[in-house]
Amino acid sequence: MEPKEVMDELTVLLVTRLKFEPARVAAVAFDTPLPKGVDGSLGLDSLDFIELGIAIEERFGIVMDESEDLTEHFASVDTLCRFIDERAARP
Amino acid sequence: MTRRGRRVVVTGLGAVSPFGAGVKAFWQGISAGVCAIRPITLIETDGFRARVAAEVPDGIGGSTRRSRADRLALTAARAALDDAGLGPAERRDAGLVVGAVGGGMLEVEGWYWARQRGRSVAGGGALRAILPASHADMLAWRLGLDGPRETVVAACSSGAASLALAAELVADGVVTTAVAGGADALTRVCFMGFNALKLLDPAPCRPFDRERRGMSIGEGAAFLVLEDRETARARGAVIYAELAGYGMTTDAFHVTSPHPGGDGMVRAMRAALETAGAVPADVAYVNAHGTGTPHNDRIEAQALRTVFGEGGVLVSSTKSMIGHTMAAAGSLEALATVLALIHDVVPPTVHLDTPDPEVPFDCVPGVARVATLSAAISNSFGFGGQNVTLLFRRPC
Amino acid sequence: MLRPAVVTGVGVVSARLVGDGQALRRFLAAPPAASPRHVVDGAVLAGLIDGAEARRTSRVSQLALAATRLALADARLDDTGAAGFILGTEHGDLHSTIEFADGYLRTGPTGLSPLLFPNTVMNTMAAATTIAVQARQLALTLNVRTVGGELAIARAARAVASGRVEVALAGGVDQHDPLVAEILGELGAGSEVRGEGATLLVLESLDHACARGASPAGEILGAAWRGLRTRPHGVGRRVESTAIAAALEEAGLESGAVTWVYTSASGDRARDAWEEALLGRALDPQRLALASLAPLLGQHAGLGALRVAAAMWTAASGLLVQPAWGGGAADDRTTALVPVAPGPGLVHGVARGGTHVALVVGGPPGDVQ
Repeated sequence: MEPKEVMDELTVLLVTRLKFEPARVAAVAFDTPLPKGVDGSLGLDSLDFIELGIAIEERFGIVMDESEDLTEHFASVDTLCRFIDERAARP
Repeated sequence: MTRRGRRVVVTGLGAVSPFGAGVKAFWQGISAGVCAIRPITLIETDGFRARVAAEVPDGIGGSTRRSRADRLALTAARAALDDAGLGPAERRDAGLVVGAVGGGMLEVEGWYWARQRGRSVAGGGALRAILPASHADMLAWRLGLDGPRETVVAACSSGAASLALAAELVADGVVTTAVAGGADALTRVCFMGFNALKLLDPAPCRPFDRERRGMSIGEGAAFLVLEDRETARARGAVIYAELAGYGMTTDAFHVTSPHPGGDGMVRAMRAALETAGAVPADVAYVNAHGTGTPHNDRIEAQALRTVFGEGGVLVSSTKSMIGHTMAAAGSLEALATVLALIHDVVPPTVHLDTPDPEVPFDCVPGVARVATLSAAISNSFGFGGQNVTLLFRRPC
Repeated sequence: MLRPAVVTGVGVVSARLVGDGQALRRFLAAPPAASPRHVVDGAVLAGLIDGAEARRTSRVSQLALAATRLALADARLDDTGAAGFILGTEHGDLHSTIEFADGYLRTGPTGLSPLLFPNTVMNTMAAATTIAVQARQLALTLNVRTVGGELAIARAARAVASGRVEVALAGGVDQHDPLVAEILGELGAGSEVRGEGATLLVLESLDHACARGASPAGEILGAAWRGLRTRPHGVGRRVESTAIAAALEEAGLESGAVTWVYTSASGDRARDAWEEALLGRALDPQRLALASLAPLLGQHAGLGALRVAAAMWTAASGLLVQPAWGGGAADDRTTALVPVAPGPGLVHGVARGGTHVALVVGGPPGDVQ
């Protein structure tokens, strides 16, 4: 998938699964940070990440193992899109 | 805040647990370090990662028109009242406080699942138990209880909160006697939800073990009869223990994660000590909340260290044997704590093979420990940061 | 009560009224006619909750949080760390439980929402609110049909009067959900006039209020709750109420001293008749004026707490707000303001299944206005 396509799909998940207002999500760019406590971030906490994780697994058909530490991949929209892209490409 | 009012003692015990009906079966199971967590039989589990639980064995009894949770509650509450030797007149004036979460959700789910899958099924009996409050109304009706009646929902602390609230009624002189406790049956919502949150261990849980991976769920019910000490003595009742103090606090931090410093837990334990007029050195045993999740056990251990100092007290988790019994947890574990005091035996934490350096306590691995106990506490730290600590003392 | 709890703040979120104690008093002084609108306006609610909060709190939790904030502002209480929180509810967040289950039934395990799961336990409203306002003492959710709000206030009044907490936020909340209403309608109460919303009160000791310069709007002179043995979801035949007697005794009042009552009448005719019989037996039926606010706002746990606030106003003003039930030929649904003797009155509720609450409520204590 193209990076922009992945981001579009991701923003749909932000609305449908994480209950963000569409207007808020329209302002999201590649460099938007995700975790709470970072300036300008979407303010996601641990529960949001669990929900987002499940949604990503289902939507992109990838698997994220319990034991993996994926914190760095969930740092921003950009890192997450890359991660999804890379995992989706695995056989 | 020091405790005011009448002293509150425990004069009746009743339980249904994953070891079967009766307090005796419960004590035999936990003191022998038997694990009751097994593959689930009550509900469908396909497609889920964790598929074990501590179910109450067949033979609960009671009318099958009642919800499973109602039957658990009735069996345990009736046993407690009979154990206390309370007649109809005493029961009529007694208070009733029930800790509940799922209520009759298992049966409501059965109805709803069928309905959403296009099979129209009459709701009838299933829906009568839809509210957590259903247990209290049924118990009052069946057991002749006309005193003050409440249902408290405090997630995993419901069973413990019910005992604290009932103790207040007795301490304040609103009633001389109250029966209180919690009940919960396995439900699909609970099973699916904890799975979705990735909080469950696919194998039976291992609280305080360095390799622990999550909780196990369970079901059951336990009720205690609480009484004004002078009334109990006057009628020659058997007094098992004194409910000498309690603390109820809120983390006000996050809906599922505990405060990282264990702040609310520390305040609850300190309030229990203070209201009992006790100091940490008086307490020889803590029956922990001890769910087996990496997070909660670490933070609880930290809170215990703050209050008692490293190694300052024996700690064990009954959830290692009966899983997390939700609304029943606080009262089943209060019962375990009272039984420990009665027998001078601390029930073990099972599956504790590798101690965790972040848990600087003797967690009584595998085998029960003989110990002289004059006071013990029971912790329940629920979702939403609802913390309840109960302090029990030997009667004097 | 040794030291009756006083009420220093009120917050109401309902279909016809959103505001604090002052807004409620204006509403009561010029009450509208009864009308069928009993659902809280979504835009109004959105205005009371900020975006990030709204994303993570279910609707029923938003109702409770909004009303709590209004009450805290009304009481001018900033330091909430020492506050306890007691919330009564009939349906809790069953709406979210249904949504959670639907996710699974639609697409299997991946349809489950971890974000929704905490809402499937009824303490979710208390959890969300105590986190948002940082109340860190006890937090209790009491579940019961009909009388949740009254019961929470009775528990809170006792906690304050006994010195267990310095301040308590107490009240009730319910959200309208059609499936839940249908289910409970089948369990009797099918003709009930239902509503939704939240009302929260700030309760504290008079000393504590005076020390921080707060002015009480009323006081809880007596609070008692008992059971009347009856089949679950059933309407009882017993009419001797121990709760009313206990509340009166605590308030130091003879039964004849109470001449008006805000009842929990809701249109469930059998239950309403039972309540009237209870009141007629315990008080002097010749001199008793009864009123229910359900025709104005619909029955929900918040209404129980709102009744207490209304009683404070009636005790001070000598006017009982008495909406008409309507349905007659002329269908005149004007709300009457019935003159009654100023001074304390009763807030009363009884639920199917027998939980029974009585509160003796007075206006501002002494000369404090």
